[in-house]
Amino acid sequence: MRKLLRFIIQNHFIILFLLIESFSLFLLFSRNPYQKFTFYRFSHSIINRIASRISNLEDYFSLYHENRALVEENTKLYNQLASSYPGTTSDTIYRLYNGTSGTYLYIPARIINNTVNNQYNYITINKGSRDQIEPDMAVICNNGIVGYTKSVSKNFTVVLPALNLDFIVSGKIKKSGYYGPVSWNGVNANLLTLVDIPHHVTLNQGDTVITSGYGGIFPEGYLIGTIEDFRLKGGNYYEINIKLSSDFRRLDNVQVIRHHAKQELDSLQNLLLND
Amino acid sequence: MIKTLQKYLLLVIILIAAQLLVFDNIEFSGYINPYVYILFIIILPFEIPKALLLILAFALGLIIDLFLGTPGVHSSATVLMAFARPYILGVFAPRDGYQTGTNPRIAYYGLEWFVKYAATLVIIHHLTLFYLEVLSLDHFFNTFLRILASATFTLLILVLSQFLVFRK
Repeated sequence: MRKLLRFIIQNHFIILFLLIESFSLFLLFSRNPYQKFTFYRFSHSIINRIASRISNLEDYFSLYHENRALVEENTKLYNQLASSYPGTTSDTIYRLYNGTSGTYLYIPARIINNTVNNQYNYITINKGSRDQIEPDMAVICNNGIVGYTKSVSKNFTVVLPALNLDFIVSGKIKKSGYYGPVSWNGVNANLLTLVDIPHHVTLNQGDTVITSGYGGIFPEGYLIGTIEDFRLKGGNYYEINIKLSSDFRRLDNVQVIRHHAKQELDSLQNLLLND
Repeated sequence: MIKTLQKYLLLVIILIAAQLLVFDNIEFSGYINPYVYILFIIILPFEIPKALLLILAFALGLIIDLFLGTPGVHSSATVLMAFARPYILGVFAPRDGYQTGTNPRIAYYGLEWFVKYAATLVIIHHLTLFYLEVLSLDHFFNTFLRILASATFTLLILVLSQFLVFRK
């Protein structure tokens, strides 16, 4: 208390000035119509701006739940699409052996561990065998492919992502239909490499590359990326750099695609191979 | 002491009257609105308590405000000026300080010193006053021109008054 008193006495000039000046300004803004109006207009614009900032911030807090809801919704829509149009792709075999419940089942999952800096990166997701996940199922996100499931435990699954030197998928240039293996060269986390495209095919920067559906893991038609650049290798075949459409550094929600008739297909194909 | 008090009381009455009757009626294309009543704050003695300085400034500004129907405008500007006065005096202090028994006037410290000191305070006062009146930066340069013209004219009156009216 004594300290406070001493402080007030020591600074009485400034304190008195602030008191009198604020009283004057109060008079100014409350008793003059023009100044009053201008002041209210100004303070309202500031208050509105702050209020809208706060509401933006509040939106962020609910973002997690919004995201969950959107993912659920997405899954529902995917499943509806798959079951309404069984075997929308050209693979007639699948359709024959598939009942009415749809060729594919989409299982939503969330990434709980992810690396992009290594040569052999892995992603862990929070769904496992309890949710009907098995090895060698395709994993996609809303922007494109992610990878395929590698090893499955009861509640978790390790995904082998496109950013792994072991990853390989059959990619197709959407415009011309030519296809070839797509893999990662381990250098740039944004680029995959598509090889074995013959030299007479016309390529343009920005052409879309999608999964071809061959190889059995990825269904046909999922976005891999766009052509970044290309060059002839050995004179006959193009080596094409594909800019990944999925940003692996920001992956969060993914969908695992369960292919109902995959075992059947595999056993049939293996039968032929073994002969 | 009583005599000094009477002198300043007389001064403030004359200044307020002059402000209201003469200087508020100058209509020179709206650019020149001198406010000479601040002379009172400017030439108050050095020894005046700072708190009293603020209170006097507020009272003076409020009286002008009441007559002009602009509550708060003149009092804010005058109080701010009074607040600045001790610091301005410190900035322009002569090498050996202010002598006791002297006032901040031309008669004691010369024309140059007075112009520097008074001009700073007049500018502070007029800047605050005019911008509070307009309360927007829309016509910034126009307002600034008005401030410069009015401040120059006010300063001129203040200096002249020192020669014509106030002897020691």
